[in-house]
Amino acid sequence: MTLLEFASGPGLQWALWIFVFGVVWRLIGALFLLSRKDLTKPREYNSMKAGLGAILSRSAPAHAFEKSIRFQHVTGYVWHFALFVSVLFFAPHILFFKSVLGFGWPHLPNTIILVTAITATAVLIALLIRRATHPVQRFISTVDDYISIFVVLIPLITGILAFAHFGARYETLLAIHLLSVEAMLIWFPFSKLMHAIMTMPARYQAGTAFGRRGVKA
Amino acid sequence: MNIEAMSLQDFRGLLQQIGEGVAGVDMSDEERVKRAKKAFMQKLNGHRAVDLDSCLQCGMCAEACHFYEATQNEKYAPVYKYRLLRRFYRREMSPMRWFYRLFTPDIKAADLKEWQHLVYDTCTGCGRCDMICPMGIKISAGIRVVRHGLAAAGLVPPEMRIVRNEQRDENKLFGVGAEQLKALAAKLGEQGIDIPLDHEQADVMLLTTAVEILLFPDTFASSARILNKSSANWTMFSDAFEATNVGIITGDDPTMKLAIKRIVDKAEACGIKTVVMPESGHAYQTLRWEGATEMNEQLPFEILSMPEFISAEIKAGHLSLNAQSNGASVTYHDPCRLARKGGVMQQPRDVLAALGLDVRETPANRRENYCCGGGCGEYVLKDAADLRQKAFEIKKREFEDTGADTVVTGCANCRVNLLIGAENSGWQTPVTSFVETVAANLAD
Repeated sequence: MTLLEFASGPGLQWALWIFVFGVVWRLIGALFLLSRKDLTKPREYNSMKAGLGAILSRSAPAHAFEKSIRFQHVTGYVWHFALFVSVLFFAPHILFFKSVLGFGWPHLPNTIILVTAITATAVLIALLIRRATHPVQRFISTVDDYISIFVVLIPLITGILAFAHFGARYETLLAIHLLSVEAMLIWFPFSKLMHAIMTMPARYQAGTAFGRRGVKA
Repeated sequence: MNIEAMSLQDFRGLLQQIGEGVAGVDMSDEERVKRAKKAFMQKLNGHRAVDLDSCLQCGMCAEACHFYEATQNEKYAPVYKYRLLRRFYRREMSPMRWFYRLFTPDIKAADLKEWQHLVYDTCTGCGRCDMICPMGIKISAGIRVVRHGLAAAGLVPPEMRIVRNEQRDENKLFGVGAEQLKALAAKLGEQGIDIPLDHEQADVMLLTTAVEILLFPDTFASSARILNKSSANWTMFSDAFEATNVGIITGDDPTMKLAIKRIVDKAEACGIKTVVMPESGHAYQTLRWEGATEMNEQLPFEILSMPEFISAEIKAGHLSLNAQSNGASVTYHDPCRLARKGGVMQQPRDVLAALGLDVRETPANRRENYCCGGGCGEYVLKDAADLRQKAFEIKKREFEDTGADTVVTGCANCRVNLLIGAENSGWQTPVTSFVETVAANLAD
């Protein structure tokens, strides 16, 4: 079995299993911990509207905070947008998704993907530098924060190298790229990468908790 | 009205004496850790678990914290203040605990002592950080769980512990009990302000606080005058009048429940339909938004803050106000537990505007308002005096930005803290109470 055969075969399968099982396990653990029923009389409010409202409203900082968190706000948007475009609209990625899901979707030209991938990489490196140098971020950071950045950064860099056929044989680069994605999938449920899944329930519960008191979350 | 109040200077002297020379709670380190962990386990519910599992460690919450802003000390980032709870969750409760245990340090007695400074001296539980978090994490609720753990471990700061013990054991605060209430009611009665005490047939029950009785009897008298003018058939009970809840402030659950129970039992026994809260943000939050859950029943009466009560009475045509036309301007300081934690933000503004006042907003207001700097009992803590003053300077800048003649607030604790801050920095703008402002303009 070549490295590429392993990476695209059992390696990928195992990584996906760990990812799915880990995410479900962690979700069950957190969401099924009991909370006491709130017996206080709520103000007039619609719980679903308040919950969904918070999912939207927390996508932008409240007015008073806008200035102080502008860098993180802007880089956060650029990072996620560039990442999603690179992952979801690169032709070979879509072929891969089609082989797993059974359906595909239109792709974007390679030059655009190259730009988004380089942008995502650059922004993530900037965020890494900020984490290592900003007094608060440096102080609060744990090993999880740094590993999480690296396991996302490496697939981006290896992806760009594979795309550019730079540094090694294409098959080797592709195998390394796949393995790095698998490392990310395995790390995901153990780490703060879980935020991708937890954002919705976390914001929703904030929305309903504030909503019942008549406060916009 | 001519009631002699304790001067701010004397009240500050009283605060200085509290807890002086009092030793810490004697407990072995193992016992402290055991008790703190047990409290964490009890309080760490599904909501907090989702919060802890969602944190990005982005550190934005620091930007919302007045203590971080005032000091730039990274330890005061709210995310760090509940780090102890995160460590506990990861080691003991998380579905991934078998993995996290490999590199998450266990909680030690030294950690508890370090966090005593972080969650009592450097956090007023104002919840401004809750409003900035991109994930919607209720950071202040997590920090409150840490307070619970420390309270269980006998690490409530001595000043707070003394006050807590007084409320728990004697149903008094700062020496104020039924006698002092009766004496004040009698004095006010002589001046034509009727305080109906212990009328079991009443529908409305007014609460007050020891701080009002001692320091702000005018606020107390104003509440009474407003209720006398309103449609309410009201009373105060001399054995259940104290709205302050030192239990929630210290993180001591049994005292919190006891203080709520005293009020709830009395109201239920007398068939009270409405409980009107005095100017105390945390007291309103505790009874209105936690009382029923703590008592494990739906309460048979409604709980209103003064701004809600006044606003409803005006709307119903039971209360009318004289509108001023002298162009006076005010800025309203939102008490955090009345505003972002209580949902009472529009009513006080509407009432002040109905008085003809020019109501000006601080740059950060309503749900984004800065804390006075001394909430959640923090103004009794001697070690936090410098920090409070630094946080007050932020508040002062906010107020000055409005150019308003007067600061009005709906919480006696905020008022005490703002007055102390103003006195320390020689700031002259008057800080007054919302109900006093209303009562001064009641129409005949």
